[in-house]
Amino acid sequence: MNSEKIKNNTEYWDSLRGKIKSSKGGWIPNEDAYSHGYGILNELVGNISYMQMIVLNATGRLIEKKLADWLEANFLCLSWPDARIWCNQIGALSGTVKTSVSAATVAGVLGADSIMYGGGKPSLQSVSFIQKALEKYKNGRTIEEIISQSKKLNGKPMISGFVRPISGKDERIKPLENVIRKLGIEIGEHLSLAYKLSEYLEENYGEGININGYTSAFLSDQNFTAEEVYRIRALAVASGVTACYVDTKDKPGESFLPLRCDDIQYSGKPPRKLSG
Amino acid sequence: MNKIEKQVSKRNFSEKITTSIHYESPSNSNPYIAKECFLHGYNYKDLMLKCSYSDVLFLMFRGELPNKHQSELLSQLMIFFINPGPRHPASRASMNAAISKSDPSHILPIGLIALGGSYLGAAEVRDSMKFLKNNLKRPVGEVVNKLLSDKADVENEHVVPGFGNRFNSIDELPNEIGNYFSKMPASGEALKWGNDFAQKLNTMTMGWLAPGVVAAVLFDLGFNEREATGIFQIISAPGILAQGVEQGFKNLNEMPFVEDDDYEFRKDKE
Repeated sequence: MNSEKIKNNTEYWDSLRGKIKSSKGGWIPNEDAYSHGYGILNELVGNISYMQMIVLNATGRLIEKKLADWLEANFLCLSWPDARIWCNQIGALSGTVKTSVSAATVAGVLGADSIMYGGGKPSLQSVSFIQKALEKYKNGRTIEEIISQSKKLNGKPMISGFVRPISGKDERIKPLENVIRKLGIEIGEHLSLAYKLSEYLEENYGEGININGYTSAFLSDQNFTAEEVYRIRALAVASGVTACYVDTKDKPGESFLPLRCDDIQYSGKPPRKLSG
Repeated sequence: MNKIEKQVSKRNFSEKITTSIHYESPSNSNPYIAKECFLHGYNYKDLMLKCSYSDVLFLMFRGELPNKHQSELLSQLMIFFINPGPRHPASRASMNAAISKSDPSHILPIGLIALGGSYLGAAEVRDSMKFLKNNLKRPVGEVVNKLLSDKADVENEHVVPGFGNRFNSIDELPNEIGNYFSKMPASGEALKWGNDFAQKLNTMTMGWLAPGVVAAVLFDLGFNEREATGIFQIISAPGILAQGVEQGFKNLNEMPFVEDDDYEFRKDKE
């Protein structure tokens, strides 16, 4: 223990007062702005895609254009303007009470910062799962053993990336597989294992891989960590939210899914008087 | 029905939103207009005339009005932590937004988002409540000894959620107020256990942190972790808004902007 040595010692914070020490980048007026050593104006603009920039800022890695193109396709798969999806409905509800587009979109993005669905947070679990599963698989565990070690709910394995809140079959995977082929990206060992796990789960439990599990396995093959995948995909649903906001913003106020008083099922205490 | 509608209906979604909190009786002339509103059975107009704000907040979440001692504890908690102050990153986020002329309706949400974190924020209140719930049946000394044996850097910052140090010192005000709250009639096992725990930690330059005090009070008042997370944001909201809005009236140069010489970064590629 060295409590006495550190007690009230503020040298570390004193050295940072009024100073910023960035490990990511910064702007030098009249020269350039830098991200991880790359000059944004003089090196990157015109040479890389916006998705490459997103990954560079989120992870420090300047990835190949084809991988960024795949990620862009992945974001497209989460950009549905269907206002029944929870994050999109937040956008639509914001539109019907006339917030700004930025507020609505940010609110929807936060709504999708969910352990259940959305662009980023489920990746924390699903990337971690598939990376550990591959380790186990390489150490001789069977698919059945790997799945049997997961948590169960009503007898079904609860594995992040292999269930879906509404629809069992995830139709977003096939188009992404087509993009992989088109771009000439090889399927790696995480994704290969994910297919095997999915096949087993479909046969035995009727639940297959979803876009989160698929994305997590694919990006694990591209050497991203769980936290990096979360950071890259944090805004993935944004565009669909904006669309749903725009749809209701341009219509009369309170006209999106209007509720009558009796459309709410009240299950609480009946009217009562305050004592005293 | 199209394909997706069929899949949705298979999941047995409820036909209506259900709530046990708020009831609206409809107007005789228009079913979309409420004639009277009730909170857990009490008419809002009666609550407005006879109750304090913090009592109604308690009612909102707990379903019943607080007793005298609970009312006193919640009211004092809400006053003491009403403003994280201009040095807290959440307040500074709202101040940055305001002085750079973000829309006034964004100032509070921006600050509250920054107050959502697991370091001095709402997520730390949640985690601290979990820690208290999981440990308060164990002797304080046993928990401290376990920490000492498990963690080499035990004196660093937040040793467990809600407890630790700041800037290598005990955070004096939360310690004082945590001790004070633990002696109040409405304090329960979380405040008492937490205060004993904080006092043991004091010898290692640690103690209560603000989120720990808030978590313990809200636990003893019967709130759960999800509620406590947001209630901490409600409690701090007035200060975060006030600190932000104040800057909104000022010119951009009336807040510091770090000079080029004080901004360091690596220009080489990694």
